[in-house]
Amino acid sequence: MGALGDPERVATKENAGNRKGVLGWIDPHGHNLERWAYTFQRITGVAVLLYVLGHLGDTSFFVGGPTGAGPSESSWAFISGIVENSFGHMILVLVVLVVTFHGINGVRLILAEFGVILRKPTAIEYPYKPKGLGATQKYIFVAAVALAFVAAALAWWILFEGPL
Amino acid sequence: MLIQYATAVAAVALVAIHLLLQGVLVPYGTAISFGTVFAAYRNVFSVIFLEALLVVVLVHGFNGVRIILHELRQTVDWSRWVDVGTVLAIVVSVGYGTRTILLAVLTGAPA
Repeated sequence: MGALGDPERVATKENAGNRKGVLGWIDPHGHNLERWAYTFQRITGVAVLLYVLGHLGDTSFFVGGPTGAGPSESSWAFISGIVENSFGHMILVLVVLVVTFHGINGVRLILAEFGVILRKPTAIEYPYKPKGLGATQKYIFVAAVALAFVAAALAWWILFEGPL
Repeated sequence: MLIQYATAVAAVALVAIHLLLQGVLVPYGTAISFGTVFAAYRNVFSVIFLEALLVVVLVHGFNGVRIILHELRQTVDWSRWVDVGTVLAIVVSVGYGTRTILLAVLTGAPA
């Protein structure tokens, strides 16, 4: 019986789950560079979404919050008093760090998806070691990490050192 | 995945502009002042930009979570509920953000 017709290969409630689940993202066994890139892309993506949801909440205080009815200077001052401090600015620096990484590494993924930066296919030979990313993709991944820290440093300077 | 890539490309451009306007092109203290934000909501291009940013980022974010959840489990019921939940989450969050924009745009200046 072919794989598609094999009842043991069909997803059921018992076998449909991903065995390692989210913990598989951070399990270092067998992780190479592309696997870590996958892990960081997932973690930073979820982190950015959580920040965006919080940002939706704090910006709504421009119009008085969830029960507001229009622009309110006092409401804006209230939320600014809560988020505009050293802790809030540290969060913003981290957000810039993960957003920059997620964006640049995401561009790498899109280019790879459309075949722009894939390495040339080679013959499969014993002992069948995985080839991993091509040089271009590795450079983009390293650039994503480096530029994320540069952007975070700039954000740090603007929020903590620069003229506000 | 096409929607994920399309929103990703748009998000990279829109988020980059948004971040540049918050501290690089405009001083941070000025950018978050009540007067500057109020003026932004009175500029039609700025409002369109903010609404586009809202939709693109939330669709990309929640669709990303949908992809993660589909990877974790693949039963028909799970997939259906994940898809429905994703649409609901997008509608509710975009709706809340749009409410903020509309209230800021359509109501008058504070007394």
